[in-house]
Amino acid sequence: MKHNYLSSFAAALAIATLSAPTLAATSVKATVNGMVCAFCAQGIEKRLGALPATQSVFVDLKQKVVAVQAKDGQTLDAKTITAEITDAGYDVVKLETVQKSVEDIKAEVKALAKAKP
Amino acid sequence: MKCFLNQFGAFMVALFATQLAPQPAFAGPMGFKDSTMAMGDFGANWREGFANYAFTGRDAIGLGGLWMRSDDGLRMREVAELNYTRRLARWNQPDSQANVWLVAGLGPVTGNDFNGSRTMFSPGIQVDYETTRIYLSATARLYRAEGLNHDYASARAGFSFYEVDYDEIQPWFILEARRMNNLSDQTEITPMLRLIHNRYFVEFGVNNANQGRFNFMYIF
Repeated sequence: MKHNYLSSFAAALAIATLSAPTLAATSVKATVNGMVCAFCAQGIEKRLGALPATQSVFVDLKQKVVAVQAKDGQTLDAKTITAEITDAGYDVVKLETVQKSVEDIKAEVKALAKAKP
Repeated sequence: MKCFLNQFGAFMVALFATQLAPQPAFAGPMGFKDSTMAMGDFGANWREGFANYAFTGRDAIGLGGLWMRSDDGLRMREVAELNYTRRLARWNQPDSQANVWLVAGLGPVTGNDFNGSRTMFSPGIQVDYETTRIYLSATARLYRAEGLNHDYASARAGFSFYEVDYDEIQPWFILEARRMNNLSDQTEITPMLRLIHNRYFVEFGVNNANQGRFNFMYIF
């Protein structure tokens, strides 16, 4: 009898886990002109990393990408992100909010870089 | 206010770290808004360092010091200055960046071949162009005081050996030529190894007089 209860509980838990919607991370992904030097681009990382809603920041010089992940339950303001990158001395040419983590974006950018001849 | 005090504290630390040392001619001479940058350039006849605080994304103010000596080792100058740096123009492209910088310093200069101190004014211009693989720059700066003219000019060109990720160290080869009026009759040529990381910037080299050279930049 006890064994049956445990089996039912485990099955219910598995079903619940599988059927629960995944909470996707929200990030802002920007394409930035002028990022040619890591030492100089550190300003982008430092300024964006200091924003209260920032969970993590990713910078890629080769693909000219800057990605900022929001903390759970918080929102990143696109205008603020653009202003911070501009204050660091660079130009934002494209900016989009995506339902991905910085790690996902990092993996995509790295894969894209490898695919390029 | 707290942020300003923290930045001011970092500025003072940087200032002492560089021993009140004006403006090395490499890379951008200031950091990003609200940052403090320390720089140093150390060789046998030329030692300088300074720290500045970027109060906007285009303007920085700082303190610096410069010690310079003639090739024969007989004449020396010491300069302490308050300096102002402004980014006059920047062109950001997908694969490159170009800048025009104004640098101006004002402060006392002393020497071992005249008495007392004089007021030195040292305005200058730097232009640079950089990609992830190529670096070019030119600097011209006047060092003028009553009876003194130590105008300075330098040019730099270099390349990186390969591209790296943002958090990796990137090695560069840099060749610099520079001259200092009325202290040296020679053009100093220095091949250098530059290492750039997202946290620091250093250069090592030996000039055509077999003298060592070390440069650094750090942003707090």
